[in-house]
Amino acid sequence: MSMSADRTLPWDWYSGTVPQNVQLADSAYVESTFSFYLFRSERDDAVSIGQGASAYLGTMFDVGASGRVTIGDYALINGARIVCDAEITIEDYVLVSWNVLLMDSYRVPADPDARRELVKRVPASVLRRFDAYGPALPIRIGRAAWLGFDCCVLPGVTVGEGAVVGARSIVIHDVEPYSIVAGNPARLVRRLTPEEINHGR
Amino acid sequence: MVRLPDNVHAGDNTVIHGDIAFKRFLSKQVPGLVIGAQCTMDGVQFAVGAQGRIDIGDYCYFTNAVLLCELSVKIGNYVVIGWNTTIADTDFHPLEPALRIADAVACSPLANGRPRPAVAQRPVVIEDDVWVGPSATILKGVRIGAGSFIEPGSLITRDVPPRSRVAGNPAAVVGPV
Repeated sequence: MSMSADRTLPWDWYSGTVPQNVQLADSAYVESTFSFYLFRSERDDAVSIGQGASAYLGTMFDVGASGRVTIGDYALINGARIVCDAEITIEDYVLVSWNVLLMDSYRVPADPDARRELVKRVPASVLRRFDAYGPALPIRIGRAAWLGFDCCVLPGVTVGEGAVVGARSIVIHDVEPYSIVAGNPARLVRRLTPEEINHGR
Repeated sequence: MVRLPDNVHAGDNTVIHGDIAFKRFLSKQVPGLVIGAQCTMDGVQFAVGAQGRIDIGDYCYFTNAVLLCELSVKIGNYVVIGWNTTIADTDFHPLEPALRIADAVACSPLANGRPRPAVAQRPVVIEDDVWVGPSATILKGVRIGAGSFIEPGSLITRDVPPRSRVAGNPAAVVGPV
């Protein structure tokens, strides 16, 4: 399971390449280079994907010029939209379900008049994409956390180690380690018990 | 690029990307969809019924939005709609179980020409300069006032006043923009 010398993927249905500034571990699996269709980071260390990690179809690295995404070992990304202008860190063993959105930036001003000026400029550009705008606040998903399907993690959020985020939750506040949150906005449902935290250790 | 159905009009420098844009475009209205100039419709699904009509203004930017229209969806200028957002002006099926049984039969291969019962439908209006975050849902009869900011994941069931920031399920105004 590895990338060819020309940075194509032997199993890919899309005729793209893995960008030079994306570092794939030997045993990491990326289903398709289409995941980099929106990728435009100019950093040398833009993306790293760890040993045994996988990014399946539907995962999109919508990473702006100065964005950096780190995916840890054995992390499983089953189709997430990663909107990154600063830094998004997904630690080891994290499970991310389908249609999850991780965004560290809104890319637009909240003020409608300023937003109109920005929106007006987009169709004049070749790629027609929103560039970085305003503060981007890093996101961190702690080791062995689990993000349920369709959930959204908004700018600046840290999800603690071992936490569980329920399906379709909108996470706007930090999530305590070893807790379960759900809802819109996501709220604490309960904390894992010491027995649950230590089970199988 | 996709081939436009005859009853779809798109303005100058507007681009529509994606294979599924018109897969469920069944509008018999003329026109059934009007998109203004300078718009970017990236991966948008225009799922429009026979009686439906969608109007979109200039400088709109939609990414992977699903527009479900059986009646009328009107969107102003400079509107941005994020990834995975759904807008629907219809309930799709009746609320009453007996009517829903009739609807199930009318939708089945055994319909034999039976008409479908009436379904609640109310127009959706999104005014100028609205930003709709990703994974939001906008339901029938809603008017979103100019300049409003819809946070990601919001479920909008009621009108939103102009220049307000809304969030939550069901969505509520959480402040001015």
